Amino acid sequence: MTRLAIDIGGTFTDLILFNEKNGKLTAYKSLSTPSDPSSGVVNTINLSKIDTANISFFVHGGTTVINAITERKGVKTALITTLGFRDILGIMRGNRPDMYNLKPKKPTPFVDRKLRFEVKERVTSEGKILTPLNLESLDEIIDICKKNKVESIAIQFLHSYLFTENEKKCSEYIKKKFPEVSITISSDITREWREFERANTAVLNAYVQPIVLKYFDNLEKKLNDLGINCGFTAMQSNGGTTSFNGAKRQPITLVESGPAAGVNGAVLVGNLTNKKNIIYFDVGGTTTKCALIENGKPKVTTEYKLEWTRFNPGYPIRVPVTDLVEIGAGGGSIAWFDSGGSLKVGPQSAGADPGPSSYNKGGIEPTITDAKLITGVINPKNFASGQFELKKKLAEKAINKIASVLGVDLITAASSIVRVAEANMINALKLVSIQRGYDPRDFVLVAGGGGGPMHACTLGKELGVSEIIVPPYPGYFSAWGMLATDQRSDFAITSLIRSENADINKILSIFNKLEEDAKNYFLSNNDLDKNIIDFEKRIDMRYLGQEHTVTVTVTEKEFDIEKILKIFHLEHKKAYTFSLDNTSIEFVTFRLSASSNSPKPKIKEISNNYKIDDSILEKREVNFGEDGLHKATVYNRNKLPTGIEIDGPLIVEEDSTVTMVLPNQKLTVDNFGFLRIK
Amino acid sequence: MDKVTLDIIWGKLQATSDEMGVILAKASMSPVIYEVLDFACGLCDNKGECISIQNGITIFTGTFTSDVQIILKKFDKDINNGDIFLLNDPHYSGTHLNDVSVIKPIFVNDKLIAFAIADAHWADIGGSAPGSISPQASEIYQEGVQLPGVRLYKKGEIQKDIIDIISSNVRYPTLAIGDLNAEVAAVNIAEKRLNEIVKKYGADKVFTTFEYLKNTSEKISIKAIQNMPNGIYEVEDIIDGDSFKEDPIPIKLKLTIKDEEIEFDFDGTSDFSESPLKCGKGALFSQIKTVFKSVVDPHGFSNEGWFRPLKLKIPDGTVFSATYPESTGWYFETSSYAADLVWKAFASIIKNKTSAGHYLALSPSFLYGTDHRNNEPFFALEPHCGGWGASNDSDGTSGLIGILDGDTYNYSIELFENKFPMRCNQFKFNTEDGVGHGEFRGGFGLIREYELLCDDVSFYCADGRTKTKPWGIYGGTEGSNNYKIIRSNGKERKITITPPIKLNKGDTLKIVTASGGGYGKPENRERKRVLDDLENEFITPEIAQSVYKLKDVK
Repeated sequence: MTRLAIDIGGTFTDLILFNEKNGKLTAYKSLSTPSDPSSGVVNTINLSKIDTANISFFVHGGTTVINAITERKGVKTALITTLGFRDILGIMRGNRPDMYNLKPKKPTPFVDRKLRFEVKERVTSEGKILTPLNLESLDEIIDICKKNKVESIAIQFLHSYLFTENEKKCSEYIKKKFPEVSITISSDITREWREFERANTAVLNAYVQPIVLKYFDNLEKKLNDLGINCGFTAMQSNGGTTSFNGAKRQPITLVESGPAAGVNGAVLVGNLTNKKNIIYFDVGGTTTKCALIENGKPKVTTEYKLEWTRFNPGYPIRVPVTDLVEIGAGGGSIAWFDSGGSLKVGPQSAGADPGPSSYNKGGIEPTITDAKLITGVINPKNFASGQFELKKKLAEKAINKIASVLGVDLITAASSIVRVAEANMINALKLVSIQRGYDPRDFVLVAGGGGGPMHACTLGKELGVSEIIVPPYPGYFSAWGMLATDQRSDFAITSLIRSENADINKILSIFNKLEEDAKNYFLSNNDLDKNIIDFEKRIDMRYLGQEHTVTVTVTEKEFDIEKILKIFHLEHKKAYTFSLDNTSIEFVTFRLSASSNSPKPKIKEISNNYKIDDSILEKREVNFGEDGLHKATVYNRNKLPTGIEIDGPLIVEEDSTVTMVLPNQKLTVDNFGFLRIK
Repeated sequence: MDKVTLDIIWGKLQATSDEMGVILAKASMSPVIYEVLDFACGLCDNKGECISIQNGITIFTGTFTSDVQIILKKFDKDINNGDIFLLNDPHYSGTHLNDVSVIKPIFVNDKLIAFAIADAHWADIGGSAPGSISPQASEIYQEGVQLPGVRLYKKGEIQKDIIDIISSNVRYPTLAIGDLNAEVAAVNIAEKRLNEIVKKYGADKVFTTFEYLKNTSEKISIKAIQNMPNGIYEVEDIIDGDSFKEDPIPIKLKLTIKDEEIEFDFDGTSDFSESPLKCGKGALFSQIKTVFKSVVDPHGFSNEGWFRPLKLKIPDGTVFSATYPESTGWYFETSSYAADLVWKAFASIIKNKTSAGHYLALSPSFLYGTDHRNNEPFFALEPHCGGWGASNDSDGTSGLIGILDGDTYNYSIELFENKFPMRCNQFKFNTEDGVGHGEFRGGFGLIREYELLCDDVSFYCADGRTKTKPWGIYGGTEGSNNYKIIRSNGKERKITITPPIKLNKGDTLKIVTASGGGYGKPENRERKRVLDDLENEFITPEIAQSVYKLKDVK
């Protein structure tokens, strides 16, 4: 039997197969087909020549949702809200992070004012009906929606995180009168308070739903035609999968599925190497992503904001998203000078097209890839599996723009670009670790993406991690991570309880309710596992008077008020350097993650008897940044003997990336073929 | 010295200030800090000059330098490792007494290298009214506890006496001490980070970076000023009365650009005010710096270097230069008028980086009493968003926080109703009072209405731009006014400035903020924009016809 994971990226569609019999992994790549991504899926499966009857597990990761949003290609959407509040979607939170700008802008809401409607209804902050829902007034709204060719409607009422009935009734009424429209109710997606955030989440779900529905229907049909009949699952942003049906209902939960899968890949590496505490570091073409995994569990957040930057408030999406920091520094990031003459790298990227100057596709700006070529790290003849040769002359021409301004030679200029980019990367790595109260010495750094292994040793050294691990296929990290992914869904409810009134039975009953919701979710979805469900319970808590909360994970053993409070004090201290032991505490939001405990692929050890001499490709001059210029031996990863130990400085080349090991670091190749650097 | 290393250290200093801000926001106790984010954090060098400030709000842009310089002057040789100082000086340096600075000198190997500073608005610091900024206060003594640079920690030892004095003089000691804790956590984290930076790069490189970043910023400023035409630009405006008199208060600015310098001369500004609608020179200069930074380089990291070419001229005792012991509680409204003058002067010089006038300041509402649901006291201080002005290429933004704040959030209604005994009846764009029309129109203000759910709630406020309106430019028309409406026993009254008054169950308070000014002549507005506004009910068919000359409207 074979497990199959497919990851559709902007440029390539990656496929990873895991043969459960012999424990072997194989990977395939073909060009993505943006106009209909399902064609790329079929192409890649055909390329692999797999016997489709043998496929026992199918997981899909893609960018349909995020692309539809960022390219503004969703459907015409309307919003229905409580009387008096249709402008909430446009007012947003009124914040102005671009604070020294006399022409400040807000993001444009995804529903125009003319399609934001109000109905008479009101529920109090206690969840009681103050004004009953006036269903008849929906008739006129439905007429206007039909006239305006609205394809999707979001419904969000005040305090619906407490009282969901009105949203449901409204939805049922519209369904009857306007059956062809797609409907999203906010409480179906999130039961957390904050009206703008919930409205925006519902609106974005509605905005992409018809598109995602069509896409998965089409894909399902094509997969069936190929003879694949196992259940189909889709990767979500929360680090788990859902059935295609689940994805069709709540497409917004897929918004950041790619990065979440990558983090799962790091967890899998951790499982194989017996490391529970991991800092995941992934450098792609345009961005770097960092995440922290504590005790084998990635962190999830509901504070995610799409298109957020230092100067843009972005769009909040209140669904669980694997907590990671993403910055604009990747292989294609462009080096430039700001108005004060300081060298900057990114966030502008040359992307894949035209790409870095050395791609010879018309790019003329100096990028990190060009800099890595000039510093000798990248071999121009062995880039992207040797699919095309990099042109060093073009890289030199581009880097010279930086060299001439700085008044230095080409190698120093290229090395400066790398240092500036790495300074940004280290800030991101610190943000997920030191700045959240974690000591990097307790963690290993797992590097993924085409660029990760080129920077990991330098950054790992500065961060002070215990070890750096480069798994095989680092360029296929997301697909690889999906192979090990459980089915998962998250449930949460806001309910304020003060510590002095807290009753463990009340808290248990809240969790029981959430467990019931979770069980129903798994039962009502055909392709989901019915039996094994693992529950993780977390509570957002704070000191009375605070607004922001700290999330505390509670295990069965700790189901005792005093114990929970004790954990909270410790977590607060970890996050904010102090605790207030005599202040009363509030329980705010109760969270439950339910997952099937699907069997993990058992990757077999691959110990070999290769000879080290056979793996040596050449010796070349490489600039190791702050560690200077060295004549480094270059090894071929595919021929490295397992169990070997080699001292840096050295370079390991493979199809999709290059690993750079510094002087005074030692490389070991373990029995899984992982590169382990200390 | 290698310039790239200096830039990298600069980036780390900025990351330190930003991290301080995150710690302070998340650990604080009062909504005005954690929800509204009325605070800032940063670093000053050992001469007291600000070298980095968190991307948070603008009003503290200029106050950090003078805050630290007060400490340096007062304690001179007696600044020790482990000391932490408290300061709230509204006249020379700062804003109002509520803004309490926590300042920590940072030592490496017994050498003073820098200061970490956190300045946050405490919900209450004592004085005559809850919230401490009574519109009736005529002297600083009515506005709360003064902390003229005192030690909270002495060589690492906490001075409990100070905490006792503060706790017994403020109304919500748990909030105050909670916020103080959060500020201390912020400066402590800065100390840790700065030590890590010095350990990696050495103190010399870090010192060189301090000079480098100020000089780099100064150079950009100078270049920008050289690109502005030399000349004298005079603007004037009116403050619409204060809490004691309704008479207009004239304000004036003469801005002189000469080669590499700009002088801001406020001579002719009125000294007419006993009320706390005044600001000290610290807040005034901060506002000037904010607007200047906006027209020079909105995205560069802020520090004192940017502002070296600026000269301020103003006699003591005006509404922009209050002196001890005058009250300054409502400095934010008054100093925003100063920002507005500077902005207006620059608007005629630099078209592409400015816009028409905005709703001005925060028009906050203060509401307090006892919550009937739990019999606990509550205090709801809320700044409100308003309309911004139009510019050369776009309409003004609607419902955005004023110039002196920044990454400041409005209060979620669902949270607000849980926390306070009030219900929100509507929250929407203020399309009722009109807007500054033009080729590009102003942004809309907001309407937010509360219904009281219990008796005996006190309310006070003191709005700006209550009679004069946000200015239009190049043929664009004026915006609208800020005001509040109270409806009690079937009677409505309009309020702009009031000392604490009582509201009861069932009464409503409607908070209305102004819309921004327009840019360019309305008849030049693109037809599509007019039609969009009409369709989205931002303007009426009458306006479309009469102002925008749209003919074939149904």
